[in-house]
Amino acid sequence: MADLDGNDCISLPKLQFTPFSSALDAGFWHELTRRKLNDYRLDESPRRIKGYYCNGDPDGLPMRLTLEFSAFEMESATPTRCCAATGLLYNTNTLESFKACDKKALLQKSVEEIWKSIEFDETPDCLNLNRFLLLTFADLKRYRFYYWFCFPALCLPEGVHLLQPPAPLSKTFSLNQIKALQDAYDALCCRTGASAIPYFVVKYTVDSVSISPLASLEEEVRAQKKVTIGVYDPCTLPQYPGWPLRNLLYLITYRWGQVLDSLEVLCFRDRTLQGMRSLTHSLLFEVKLPKLSNASGCPKGVGWEKNQKGAMGPRIVNLSECMDPRRLAESSVDLNLKLMRWRLVPTLDLEKVISTKCLLLGAGTLGCNVARTLLGWGVRHITFVDNAKISYSNPVRQPLYEFEDCLGGGKSKALAAVERLRKIFPGVDAHGHHLSIPMPGHPVNFSEETMQQALKDVQQMEALISSHDVVFLLMDTRESRWLPTMIAASQRKLVINAALGFDTFVVMRHGLKKLPVQDSSTSSGDTGSTSLFSNIPGHKLGCYFCNDVVAPGDSTRDRTLDQQCTVSRPGLAMIAGALAVELLVSVLQHPEGGYAVASSSDDRMNEPPTSLGLVPHQIRGFLSRFDNVLPASLAFDKCTACSAAVLHRYERDGFQFLAEVFNSSHSFLEDLTGLTLLHQETQAAEIWDMSDDESI
Amino acid sequence: MDYDSCNTDLHLGEKTFQLSCHNFIQHSKAIGDGWVWESIEATNEGYMKKVLLKMKNAFGYTIPEQQKIVNEKTYRQEFEVQDTMDLEEIDISSIDLSGREMIRFEYHVVYSSSYQVPVLYFRACDIDGRPLTLEEIWQSVQENYKERLLEGPWETITQQEHPLLGQPFFILHPCRTHELMTPILKGAREEKQSVNYITAWLSMMGPVLGLNLPISYTTATSAQQLD
Ligand SMILES: [Zn+2]
Repeated sequence: MADLDGNDCISLPKLQFTPFSSALDAGFWHELTRRKLNDYRLDESPRRIKGYYCNGDPDGLPMRLTLEFSAFEMESATPTRCCAATGLLYNTNTLESFKACDKKALLQKSVEEIWKSIEFDETPDCLNLNRFLLLTFADLKRYRFYYWFCFPALCLPEGVHLLQPPAPLSKTFSLNQIKALQDAYDALCCRTGASAIPYFVVKYTVDSVSISPLASLEEEVRAQKKVTIGVYDPCTLPQYPGWPLRNLLYLITYRWGQVLDSLEVLCFRDRTLQGMRSLTHSLLFEVKLPKLSNASGCPKGVGWEKNQKGAMGPRIVNLSECMDPRRLAESSVDLNLKLMRWRLVPTLDLEKVISTKCLLLGAGTLGCNVARTLLGWGVRHITFVDNAKISYSNPVRQPLYEFEDCLGGGKSKALAAVERLRKIFPGVDAHGHHLSIPMPGHPVNFSEETMQQALKDVQQMEALISSHDVVFLLMDTRESRWLPTMIAASQRKLVINAALGFDTFVVMRHGLKKLPVQDSSTSSGDTGSTSLFSNIPGHKLGCYFCNDVVAPGDSTRDRTLDQQCTVSRPGLAMIAGALAVELLVSVLQHPEGGYAVASSSDDRMNEPPTSLGLVPHQIRGFLSRFDNVLPASLAFDKCTACSAAVLHRYERDGFQFLAEVFNSSHSFLEDLTGLTLLHQETQAAEIWDMSDDESI
Repeated sequence: MDYDSCNTDLHLGEKTFQLSCHNFIQHSKAIGDGWVWESIEATNEGYMKKVLLKMKNAFGYTIPEQQKIVNEKTYRQEFEVQDTMDLEEIDISSIDLSGREMIRFEYHVVYSSSYQVPVLYFRACDIDGRPLTLEEIWQSVQENYKERLLEGPWETITQQEHPLLGQPFFILHPCRTHELMTPILKGAREEKQSVNYITAWLSMMGPVLGLNLPISYTTATSAQQLD
């Protein structure tokens, strides 16, 4: 007999099963994280969890065992038309113990449990044949999850041979039989109150079909020769049954293999497409049951899942996108800005704002307020330059610093500001440079060393300006604004300047010189086409020094505005800092950017040039009157910072020229630009002074 | 005045929301469309949910090359080949189907009491649970919607925390919903037709995110509304 069996089998194909693909929902990882932090902590003991598999997928989808965030609640409802599967979660504390975990032993332990229940359990319905193991390690620092599923299956040593290969049910069953099968299955669901039944026994004749619970199998086997078993089959492939059949076949072989020669299997597949329910793609086939010797003991098991590459190994999933609070903060900030655009300013070009690289020269009252407003606009790239340390008087006026920052001599402002920005918004790309800006009339030629240092500082300033899109001048001395004003003018970078008096301020954009090529073609006839104070195009606008009739220097000569008075009304820096950023954003929205024609106070009644409104040259504020005016003024051809003569000398002689400026008295620049001459000839400087007199 | 009172009327109260969802789900059950109601334990709140699975290459989605390289690198660093060799055994009784990947789209319809409109919460993840980025979702949205999404009211897709689950989802922000729904509801009212708010709204918003409503909803759910 045995020999004959063997010969028969050679010619028969073997049955193969479709393994489960593990499928996880993002919610599962969120819940695992929550439980690991709150409940499990360092406890590695296994936890009971549950998943489910469903029936009725469209063709082509992988056959899944799905775990959702509800997987940890054993009492949670299984989705309709799905079968539950219970499993054990082994969550390790370290990657090492994840790796070191004896996977073979875990599998064998689970196989033994299944085998013992098959050996002793009387009621097959209570058997837990579809169980799984899940080994995880949650790296909550990097939001990376390592995991490996196992779907333990008991192996029949020789496999199972097919007597009748799988064929669609419609080949054997008539439409009436299929309808009867559907009714019988629904009736059993109804009777048992389940929305899906994993295993059942089928009896059919030409004109009837009946279905009974798996518990009735014992009777069926004794009553008749041919037995048909039904499996709720999650697989959609036309030639293969899914994994759930595998352990059931072992069970039947183990218990009734001596009695039954063959077994018919109905892979029950039930799907509704476009409102039409269909069972016709269910499979029907017949297998030859192998004979197990009684002494064979616990069988070998298989079941560890392959990874995406088809190799035996764990999978890694990186969830930083949805779990890392830093990344979430970033997307929320962007959302806020987007909302502003959607609701109020549909044509706002946010990308242009967010991607603008801002260099903040000065990290004091103005610098702190400018930086915070830039963050509000979603600007990511912010660089501070300052050479001061935080002193005790600073924190109350400079919102990036705290009392602690003043201790022990005080932290460097540039570096502390960066630290604080990152705390406020980790997505910021902030940098700080503790750097002194060389100034006209502040000699650097005390020694070779000081000269070298000045050269280094200048070079760093040049590199910083060149690597940013906008330069904010926010220092508290006038002289320190000269070098960056001139470098930025030479590099054609947009400059936003803010300066404070006691209760007055000026916020302005420097004129943006045309590129050298354009310059030469239009240099003649440049003057005269625009009136002195209106419709001045961006390239003809003045800089901070254009209004001066003296060069900056180490003196306390008369000033039209600001910074000698280091005490200003406390609200002033916030107002001016905020206006500086808002001016930049408006200018960025103008199609011509820094070349935009300056808006004046008169334009307040006209159609605004950008979606955000006006693009003034200057905003001068008078807190005593709670009033702002928007003057515009032309570049001065004898300006000590932006005139052609100065830029030409700088571009030709570089540091050699700068050293001369630093080391000489202010008359050097005045001589160079002709200011000295002008001085002697006229007192007409007042024309440039758009001070408090402007009426609106 | 008249216009205002009419407009207020067109807002969706929470009770009407739940009723509309209930009617909607009833029809979904009839046609096996997969919408279910999920209630939040110990509250009378809940949301309507549907899960949609798609094969990964059904719409040209690919893992960004950069990410693939990073993944491979970490993998090789952390798992030596020999770690897992002892499990590498041929199981003749199972077929090898590795590489069959799919994307799970999850749609939640949640009531927003501040806007008094339904909000479409939305998330897509790989089979391993990794949510797709907005860019990856863009790729998955059908070609002709991309342009529409980049202009006008459709550009409201963004990330927000699910109010009932506390997990990050993408949403179509409700700030324009009322404005978009008003002409539809008004038109129906003028023609004395009953409209299920959820049906009308979802058939407008859904397609943007690859969620198409069978036409049968329109007739079935408006008929129920009359009951
Ligand atoms: Zn100038």
